Formats: sequence, structure tokens, C-alpha cells
Amino acid sequence: MSQTPRLRRARQLTASVLPVRGSDGYGNLVAARLHKIEAASGTGMLPFSGGGDGAIYFRDGKVVYAESRRTPGPAADACTAYADDLPPLGRITAIRAVTEPIVDAVLELLSAQARHAKFRSARLAATGLTSGIRIDPLLTEVGRRQRLLRQLSAVVTPDTALARNPHLRSESIRITAWQWALLIRVRHGLTPRDLAWDLGRSVFGTTTEIYRLIALRLLSAAGHPARADGNPPGEIPGPGPANMSFVRAVPVKKGGIMPLVNAGTAAGDTS
Amino acid sequence: MILDEAEAVLDPVAGIEGFVLGCLVDASTGMILAARKDRDDISLPTAAAGAADIANVLSLLAGELPTDGLEDVMVTFRSQLYVIRLVREDLEPQILLLVILDRARANLAMARREIRNFCAKFAA
Repeated sequence: MSQTPRLRRARQLTASVLPVRGSDGYGNLVAARLHKIEAASGTGMLPFSGGGDGAIYFRDGKVVYAESRRTPGPAADACTAYADDLPPLGRITAIRAVTEPIVDAVLELLSAQARHAKFRSARLAATGLTSGIRIDPLLTEVGRRQRLLRQLSAVVTPDTALARNPHLRSESIRITAWQWALLIRVRHGLTPRDLAWDLGRSVFGTTTEIYRLIALRLLSAAGHPARADGNPPGEIPGPGPANMSFVRAVPVKKGGIMPLVNAGTAAGDTS
Repeated sequence: MILDEAEAVLDPVAGIEGFVLGCLVDASTGMILAARKDRDDISLPTAAAGAADIANVLSLLAGELPTDGLEDVMVTFRSQLYVIRLVREDLEPQILLLVILDRARANLAMARREIRNFCAKFAA
């Protein structure tokens, strides 16, 4: 009997447990794995280990929940099971309350290039989505977030230590309630990830808001203090924070799906 | 778009004369929460990202100037009108509504009024 089918089978089994950690192969490999589960209408969990322990949960091939050790999960009462009974804003808010932590966890798992093990059956979390997220939109959203984090990485990453501008005058600050909640919690050395856990918000969302506070010179990366009133007279202005652009984070190819970006450059993981 | 089940909330906006595209965007993350569109030649991700960028720039402006908070933004292109509105001011994180209208068919004043009414009912 030929050895080829046996070798091929062995290679397939190995690939499903030990993904190749090449610079551009990881994203494609995970995407293929997720698509395979979707095509098979799989129900169960895909565990990840390594850079960010966690798991992605599927029901009938759609993602209904995801968790990572490095991102806060949804609030205990977050559930979209009754979302249809809510008024429109309540419905959207309920869906977002569950969707955001799921996307945040998947972003962390894929950006950390965590190793995934075998897909297996599991009890689904009670806080998950009722209808689930399809793989293509999920990967598109994760890719978009990775590109946005890469834009911000010159200024702030989820693990950048922060410092508050010591020259703040509260009467001159015009920011949103969420930004205020972040601002008053910043103590020297805390990171956006710490603040996200503290407030139970997504790490990605917290990082973008921290970027906005840095752009407003209310915060700075620790060791790079913000000036109270810009550059002193006579001093050549230094480079400002890199511009955050959602448009630049959109996939280049119209309607296409960008490959996932490498962990080192995308998530700016300094830990 | 992440979830199909959120699409129905935009039904009233789709009835506005000249409607081309409507979507709800998380202003903080730029994630599309719900969307409806009548034409395929407009990239929904790009339009939504543009709305989030515009709101972001204006929020930075509001942080520096004595403005009284963003209400809505209207952008006029040669063939289209873009209306961007905060669904509710006190909601955190904020949600933006973007509506794109065909300029040849739409009445901006009427559309703006309908969008304002939609947001008021939506957020009630």
C-alpha cells in the first residue's frame, strides 16, 4: 500500500494542532481552519494556547463566543437572547455588549499567533450570541483592527505604560464621559489593557480612546511627558502623534478580505 | 457588517427619499453595527470608516474649542449627500448614524428632519 495517503493524513493532523508560525502563514492557516469549521457547521470550541490562552466557540459553524486570558469578557448580564424584545437602541447596545468582547478576544488570540488545538465539543457559554457571527465578516473586522493598531503603534499600544499630563486644568477639558472615566483612572505606569480590565471594556476600544486622549495632550506614554501648551517659542515643532484613520484601515481591495497582520507589528505587544 | 440581525433597525431610514446607504457605526472602534444599502457600487466599510474619521476629527476639534457638542454633519458631494449624526449624545461609547443620499432625488432639509426623528425614536 502506498505511503502517500498516510503521510498526507499525518501532515493534515499535525497542521491542525501545530500551525506553521511563519511570517505570513499564520493568518491564512487560522482563517482556513475557521472556514473549515464553518463549512462543516461545527458546534463546539477551538482552544488556543500560547500567546493568549483562550477559545473560540461555534454553534452551527458560526462564532457565538470567544474568550482570551488577556481581554475582559462580556458583562455577566450581557446576553442578546432577548434582544428582539428591546427597543432599537437597546437591541443594538445589547448586541454590541456581546459582540465587542468576542471580537476583542479573537483579535488578541490571532494577533498573539496563539497555537490552536483540536476542535472539540464543548458546553457553550450562556453569555454568547444567539445567532452568531460568520467567519468572513469576523476576520475582516479583526484585520481592520490589526491595521488600526499598527497605525497607532508609534504612539500607543495596548501595553504602553501611560502617564497623565501634570499640567491639566479640569475647566479646560472637553471630553466624553468614557474618556473622563479613563483619564481619572490613569496612574503612572498603567497600560490601556489595565484600564480596559478596570472598566470592563474592550482592550481595542480602550486603546483607541487612550490614543485620542494622547492626541489631546491629556495623557502621554510614560517617559515622554506631554507639554502643557505645545512647543515653547523658538523650538521647532516635533512630530505629532501619528494620525489614526479608520479609512486607511479598510481593506485595500474592494470587498476583499485582507490577510491577518503579524503579531509583532500589529498588536504592538510589548510584553 | 458583523450581525445580520441588527439590520432591521434601519428600516425606517431606508424609506427616506433618495436613500442609498445607511449604517450605525461605533464611534470609538469604527465597527459597523448595522447596515442597509440599496446600491452595490458604494463600499460600506469605506463609507462607515469615513464617517467615524469625520466624527473623530470633530471630537478633537470640540476638545480644543468652546463648541457645544456635535449634533450632525452634512457633507455634499457632487452626486451624493452624506449625513452623519450622533444617535444619542449621552450614550457611551457613542453610536453614529451615517445616511448617504442620492443628491438628485433627495431633499436635504426633509432628509435631515427624518433622520433627526429617527434618532429620537431610536434612542427613546
